[in-house]
Amino acid sequence: MSRVVEVPTWFDDRSFEQFAHSFSQGALTDRMLFDARAAQWASPFGLIAILTAAQAVREAGGPAPVFTVPTAEDVRRYWAKAGFFQHAAGLVEVHGRVPRIKPDEHSDVLLDVTPVRASEDVHAVVGKIQQVAARILHGELGLEAKATMGFAMALSEACQNIVEHAGTSGWVAVHAYTFRKRLGRRVVVIAVSDAGVGFRRSLDATQARRFGERWGDGAALEAAVIQNVSRFRDPGRGQGIAGIKRYLSRWAGKLSIRSGTARIAIVPPWDDDEPMTEHLAPFPGAQVQIVIPAQEGHGG
Amino acid sequence: MRQTIRVERLLRESVETQYSDLVTRSTGRLVRTSIQQALAAGEGPVALLDFSDVGLVDLSCADEIIAKLLLDPPGQTYLILQGLREEQLEAIEHVLEHHDLAALVCDPAGGARPVGRLSPDLRTAFFTLQSLGAATVQVFGEQVGWTAARAAEVLDTLVRMRLVRFEGPHYLAPLT
Repeated sequence: MSRVVEVPTWFDDRSFEQFAHSFSQGALTDRMLFDARAAQWASPFGLIAILTAAQAVREAGGPAPVFTVPTAEDVRRYWAKAGFFQHAAGLVEVHGRVPRIKPDEHSDVLLDVTPVRASEDVHAVVGKIQQVAARILHGELGLEAKATMGFAMALSEACQNIVEHAGTSGWVAVHAYTFRKRLGRRVVVIAVSDAGVGFRRSLDATQARRFGERWGDGAALEAAVIQNVSRFRDPGRGQGIAGIKRYLSRWAGKLSIRSGTARIAIVPPWDDDEPMTEHLAPFPGAQVQIVIPAQEGHGG
Repeated sequence: MRQTIRVERLLRESVETQYSDLVTRSTGRLVRTSIQQALAAGEGPVALLDFSDVGLVDLSCADEIIAKLLLDPPGQTYLILQGLREEQLEAIEHVLEHHDLAALVCDPAGGARPVGRLSPDLRTAFFTLQSLGAATVQVFGEQVGWTAARAAEVLDTLVRMRLVRFEGPHYLAPLT
């Protein structure tokens, strides 16, 4: 008998909590069914969260989850265009018809689902994104032309967290779409996720004693994101997240990082997210989301 | 005598990539090692690190290359950065400020200018000395209206930061 893990109908960083809750209801080695039949839409965060969950199962030695594809043809096509099925095929047992779609360089998928395993992958991701980011950031979102470089820098640093800290590989994807409910404007969203050790275990050796009884997933995120602390003693470490925050403050962007049972967010004025949420359902590794909104008067 | 080191060429020799971006710490370590080897093989007190044709410079890579070269200076060589675009310079300045460091950057007029963490006194002293070409403590002090003790202290600080050369009894800006 398989344990059913429902993929939310609208799968973004908020509905992710339903997915994480469902996923955490048993052991990673359980036989699982990821049921995406009702799915209507998924952000890049949602797509790579599914892959991260499947990767965690695989790394725990569990049987490959069964994955039932979305019933809606247009949803399947979008997920295929985003590169989801190509990578899911190696991690889950796909049930249902998967369309064969060629990448469309003018689509809203700025970077299809891409594995991040090593420094070379970060080079490829950064090289690829610069070719399309200028069109979206400057052309659609109304950011200054120089914002493209900062965007690629933020993407690079976010991906490097996997290479430097996760202890395993991960995933990245970048899409543009309209934030209808929260903002009413176009946004570009970077999602980076891994099934690795997470922030708390990464920082345990150097930070646990300093935080004492407060130590946990939330304190680890606070140390890394607010205090720019790294597990390395090299004083040059910890600049990556600081650089991302600086870039986002310039463009009213948002950063959120979920790791283990906690989630931290640097919240811009247009959003009402909680800066820190603890006692969430446990989920492997770390999930980073960066949102860059269209500047006012653009991309509504 | 000046040595010019083309960073983009070292990147291509160090890393198998079709792109010209300086990203990731491991890339930074490889490029820094190549720069150190080039400096060891080169001659002259001044080396220009030329960033022409380099694409993105991220903070991690800038930290591995620029900050670590400045924290562990290569022999007697003075490093000057050139060919930097605005966004690249911004990343490097971020790293310099993080470490409380300063570096010299070529300016279009043919001189150099310090970037990073530098007090107003040190900045004034650098530009004054650069306009003079070379100066003793006394000449420099008279020029800026400082006592000899204050002038010597500021110039010696610039020497320790490797922004100014000292060839007793003269202090020189590296590009003079």
